[in-house]
Amino acid sequence: MSPRILLRTFQRISGLRFSSTKPAFTSDRYKVKRGPYARISNDHVAFFNELLGRNRVIADAEECEGYNIDYAKIVRGQSTLVLKPKTTEEVSTILKFCNENRLAVCPQSGNTGLVGGSVPVFDEIVISMKFMNKIIETNELAETNLGVLSSDEFFALGVLTCEAGCVLEDLDNHLGTVGLMMPIDLGAKGSCLIGGCVSTNAGGLRLLRYGNLHGNVLGLEAVKANGEVIDCLNTLKKNNTGYHLKHLFIGSEGTLGIVTKVAIQCPPLPKAVNVALLGLNSFEKVLKAFRLAKRELAEILSSFEMMDRRSIDISFTTFGMKSPLTSKTDGHDFYVLLETSGSNVNHDEEKLGSFVEKALADDIIEDGTLTSDPTKVKHIWALRERISEGVLREGYVFKYDISIPILSYYKVIEMIEERLRDPRVIRISGYGHLGDGNIHVQVSIPSYEPDIASQLEPFIFEYVSKLRGSVSAEHGIGFVKTKYLHMSRTSSEIKLMHEVKKMMDPNGILNPYKVLYPLEISA
Amino acid sequence: MEDYKFLFKVVLVGNAGVGKTCLVRRFTQGLFPPGQGATIGVDFMIKTVEVENEKVKLFIWDTAGQERFRSITQSYYRSAHALILVYDISCQPTFDCLPDWLREIEEYASNKVLRILVGNKIDREDREIPTHVGEDFAQRHGMYFLETSAKEAENVERLFMEIAAELMEDKIQARSKELPRYETNTTSINGKTTSIGDTSNCGCSRLS
Repeated sequence: MSPRILLRTFQRISGLRFSSTKPAFTSDRYKVKRGPYARISNDHVAFFNELLGRNRVIADAEECEGYNIDYAKIVRGQSTLVLKPKTTEEVSTILKFCNENRLAVCPQSGNTGLVGGSVPVFDEIVISMKFMNKIIETNELAETNLGVLSSDEFFALGVLTCEAGCVLEDLDNHLGTVGLMMPIDLGAKGSCLIGGCVSTNAGGLRLLRYGNLHGNVLGLEAVKANGEVIDCLNTLKKNNTGYHLKHLFIGSEGTLGIVTKVAIQCPPLPKAVNVALLGLNSFEKVLKAFRLAKRELAEILSSFEMMDRRSIDISFTTFGMKSPLTSKTDGHDFYVLLETSGSNVNHDEEKLGSFVEKALADDIIEDGTLTSDPTKVKHIWALRERISEGVLREGYVFKYDISIPILSYYKVIEMIEERLRDPRVIRISGYGHLGDGNIHVQVSIPSYEPDIASQLEPFIFEYVSKLRGSVSAEHGIGFVKTKYLHMSRTSSEIKLMHEVKKMMDPNGILNPYKVLYPLEISA
Repeated sequence: MEDYKFLFKVVLVGNAGVGKTCLVRRFTQGLFPPGQGATIGVDFMIKTVEVENEKVKLFIWDTAGQERFRSITQSYYRSAHALILVYDISCQPTFDCLPDWLREIEEYASNKVLRILVGNKIDREDREIPTHVGEDFAQRHGMYFLETSAKEAENVERLFMEIAAELMEDKIQARSKELPRYETNTTSINGKTTSIGDTSNCGCSRLS
């Protein structure tokens, strides 16, 4: 089953279960004060109707609701207007108009973010990028192409250029037909859009191998708050000329501009992919397995994901998925999902065989399974990828996405367990990208409780800060983490961020209340 | 690290549906899972047993019977100490395929590997392969032979325990031979393979 279908199933089910329990308005729950922005008038709406046509202007309250609530159902905005531009020019015209009229906007991609960055806080106009979904160019190193390559194309081999609203999985499928793949993969790939991935510098399952988007995005096109189009759609791998402005738009979560086009370098599709699921009985052994994998599997290692028992139990119990490990009836305390991607099947298998033997001989793993069969590979990945979706069914979930030194990686779960002895807590669990030092912490309770929130925060962030970790490893700051930004960034950094923001968006219309907040807006 | 003296890799191969996974689960967990699905890829696990007061650790590799689900074929044969080739006594085709499996074993496995032929599912009434036919085949190919029932827990424990004992004995013998060989600086490859040669002569009587 594709993740997109999963997501749809989820939305349907959650629609049934949670229809009566929409999250509280962000402005109420978090007590936010509305910024000095204009309110939407009929004249404004008329302007947008004229520009986009009525089909691409949504003013119906019911229809707007989907754009006001986030995937994790932790925030809810009150926007009454959603715009769906199809071209960079339209985005430019919209922003120029909004800037002149001091109308706040909230750019929105797939709305799969987990920190409330993609939905409005008050009545910001939602600019949905869904309709900007054209693939512009794919330069692949296909044999049939080599003979007819022009010199221009030769420099851009393995580069995809597309609009911001393309669905990540669609891009990956498209690239698959020419023997390439996206350098990024996440659980939400069936819904998330590439523009959102870039704007949040999304990490995901293969960052370990291919690095983050600051490296993989070669160029982009973005629209500034005043409607000016910034063309830095470079497709060269090396181009050290002047400032690398693309980085301003990667990971700034739509607060400095709206990304409209992206040029991204794409690695060749691996010829051999193997996936192993391992059962282990302590976190120390998870670390040992990681060290062994780095040594034995080296350049073919493409993922190293860890899950504790209570995380993977979500996939077992909520979705009724079966554990592929059967040697222990009561399961294992820890699980590792390991993936290799290489160019030679025999070479990879040799390495994997030797890894498994050493891991068994040194008592690192209790048991495991190894496969290259696509169906089983998918099943094993689903055990990992559906955790985040499944836990939402338990009610309200406090999610933390932190990077900490690898030796303290799992201690954070043990600390929370010790601190939070409350019968209302359904589950405290941890899983994540061990290879990147990034753990996802989940604490689920039937419904939001402010006193539990205050037991967790700022405690967890202070803990992370003490270890010089990051309070948001890959999810971004969005709305819900703004007050903790200073725990992972120095005051000099934050000062410069404010200056950059002020220079690029002096009226503060772009995704207000997010990332930098409170923000002083020049009168 | 756990204190064990011996560490052996045991690999199960054979056609799909002959009961490899059930044999393993009977041995490692003492249960018989009805409706066991096809193994995809390879599952590996550890079971520590005690033979003559020594701890022996067995790595068990349970492989896919179906061709399309097989992976890392070469590496699981390589470095195996024992190979259990399984067929279903109530299913002639699984027996007819044995020569194919032997060819694969010849190609990938070490020639020193301990080979055991196992006829599984003796709890079934509809037997198609008489015991002596299996025995004959094992004898002709220098293999141990044993009939089992994973469902009724018959001979399963024994199968693995005998393998552990046999491998342990081989190892001890090989060790005692290593010393003089080193000192006199003579190569005695033959000396090392005798233990395997022995198994082909007396193996059947010992296990069956």
